[in-house]
Amino acid sequence: MAAAGTSDALSLTFGALADPTRRTILARLSEGDAGVSELAALFPAISLQAVSKHLQVLERAGLVARGRIARQRPAHLRAEPIAEASAWLAYYRHFYEESLDRLGEHLARLQGAGPAGSEPGGS
Amino acid sequence: MVELEFVRTYAAPRQLVWDAWTDPDQIAQWWGPRGISTPRESITIDLRPGGRMSFDMVDDATGARYPNSGTVVEVDPPAKLVWSDDGFGDGSGRGTATVTFTEVDAATTMLRVHIVADFADEVRAGAEQGWGSQLGKLADFLAA
Repeated sequence: MAAAGTSDALSLTFGALADPTRRTILARLSEGDAGVSELAALFPAISLQAVSKHLQVLERAGLVARGRIARQRPAHLRAEPIAEASAWLAYYRHFYEESLDRLGEHLARLQGAGPAGSEPGGS
Repeated sequence: MVELEFVRTYAAPRQLVWDAWTDPDQIAQWWGPRGISTPRESITIDLRPGGRMSFDMVDDATGARYPNSGTVVEVDPPAKLVWSDDGFGDGSGRGTATVTFTEVDAATTMLRVHIVADFADEVRAGAEQGWGSQLGKLADFLAA
């Protein structure tokens, strides 16, 4: 189970990742640092200001770190929050995959023991 | 928010699968990953819209007890069950689960579990502030 306090950071991560533009930005940054104008060039239909806003969301979620150099401020990817979100997904997957396996075993046991109380095909 | 989907086909009649999913006596026998038990006496389900459900999950190794609770949203036996999960108490893990039971044939049932995990109010707040958040299949993204 999650330690208290991790959920907020996680929610920001998921919110940030839910947007396709932001995912594209992250994909670009996974190849190397880039400035806002460089990133904006990836999205001809989106204003520089909007791209900058997407970067702020990513920054706020801790997915992207910005350099401190004024004007330039190249963005680079921070992998850690993604790992955290990924851990959550892994937890859910694990939970349901194993539960559903166990359900299958339970159903097999029930029927192996004779489908007492159940009508085959009854629905 | 994140969506996850699990699809399984079981060699069992639909009514049997439905009962296994909704009868506390049976839930106690399979719910939770291996190493986790869901004690029968901890399970209560009021199987009607708005009905409350609760159960404890116990870590077999440590004995740690994790209470869970939720609210039944929709019940359509033996075809569909929807409930919302209250989460882990610290606000994380809230979400909605939709389980559909589809009869493939008299002895075969396809089970689909669709989870929409709601990781937080701030995501919605962010969307309202114009961040432009939208539901995405994060699982697909991370798997890609």
